[in-house]
Amino acid sequence: MDLVLDQITKRYGGFSLSATGTFPPGVHLISGRVGSGKSTLSQIAAGVLDPDSGRVSYTGINRRTLSLQYPEYHVTGSSLAGEASSYGVEPGPALSKAGLDGQDARDPLSLSRGELKRFHLACLSLRDWDLLILDEPFSALDCQEKRRQCRAIEQNCRGIVLVFTHEQHILPRTDYLWEINDGRLDFLGSLPDAVRTWRSPPAPLKQLRDRGVIPANLTEEDLLEAACRTRD
Amino acid sequence: MQDPRLRLLSVILLTTATFLSLPGAILSVLWLLLYPASLKDAVRSTGFWFLVIMTGIIAIVISLSGTGGISYFVRITVIFLLAFTVYRGWTPGEYLDLSVWLFGTRTGFDLGLAIEMSLQGLKEAAADWSRMMVALKLKGVRPDFRVVPAIGVLLLQTRLMRARDQADLLVTRGYEVGGSCCPEFRTAKKDILASVLAGTVLFLAVFPVRDVFILQM
Repeated sequence: MDLVLDQITKRYGGFSLSATGTFPPGVHLISGRVGSGKSTLSQIAAGVLDPDSGRVSYTGINRRTLSLQYPEYHVTGSSLAGEASSYGVEPGPALSKAGLDGQDARDPLSLSRGELKRFHLACLSLRDWDLLILDEPFSALDCQEKRRQCRAIEQNCRGIVLVFTHEQHILPRTDYLWEINDGRLDFLGSLPDAVRTWRSPPAPLKQLRDRGVIPANLTEEDLLEAACRTRD
Repeated sequence: MQDPRLRLLSVILLTTATFLSLPGAILSVLWLLLYPASLKDAVRSTGFWFLVIMTGIIAIVISLSGTGGISYFVRITVIFLLAFTVYRGWTPGEYLDLSVWLFGTRTGFDLGLAIEMSLQGLKEAAADWSRMMVALKLKGVRPDFRVVPAIGVLLLQTRLMRARDQADLLVTRGYEVGGSCCPEFRTAKKDILASVLAGTVLFLAVFPVRDVFILQM
């Protein structure tokens, strides 16, 4: 099972994006500054936006989906129960997972963006995906919820998970690291070695790296362990 | 066209010419060829073709009930083409400058601000629409009439939320009425030439060539 981006290019408004790479099963973190082209690339990888040139191919991938950055765009139901059904999941477990028990009849658009994001991600997590693409899954969430989403990503990862984010503090355990720089997608490698060549790492990780300390992974626990490390 | 003042003038002249006569409409299309990139973008727009089809239906009805259906179709299509081409050439802040230049920093500023916010809203609504279509595709939902209410409510709610945020922002910044703005315009030689040509198009639309020149065999 893999996703292949073969010499993808996309131009818009004077900006050019290019990407080539193979994504095997595991958690892939794709980082990049705001406006670097992450959302565009996530849509191309999901097959909902055509590139100007190049090809996207899916091997062994039957079920794929994309979570857009803003959860309100996904809303098609007039109640939370109807909204859960539109994802093909039972309303009860979705509401429970999002901490919205008993609110089946509530209008999805009456939720705050954070609550709606939580509900949307809960609906997605109740289905099995061969390819799950998450565009800024941590936006609009508080720290506690970000941590919960990280654990959910790690535990539910049975196929390929692409996490497009500029999050700098709370990140999931990652298998492969990618970075978009100057309109080009670069593969940095597997963790932990990949952090050595990360051009724009989170500030705490950069400080550790400057001290010659490389954490085992990108989670808060890994950074804490690295910061407290007394010997290699 | 860089100078929004000349662009507005040209559009008024060409729209009038197009509305008045069929030769005016044809000459306006020729005028649009001066800006092939914007014209190409306008022709590629789905919205433009939707309006052309709607106009075509009305033109058929007019033709069946009398005469002038074809003339109506051509003239209205060219007016839409002008509108879409000019809309493509808009850059943020331009109409605020233009409005302040025309009506001053009080009424002009308010009017310009309203125009800018409306145009920005249109762009955002178009972007929202395309994202909603993506979301429907991801859910495997066909975008037919059954989802129209949901999409409509969502678009409206999103616009209202943004309007509220923008209003709050204006109040926070101390906006009450009018504002300071120093418009600056860049006028290229091509802009002046295009405006003169637009004036010529209107002239020829009002006064047919045979009335201007003595064309006798």
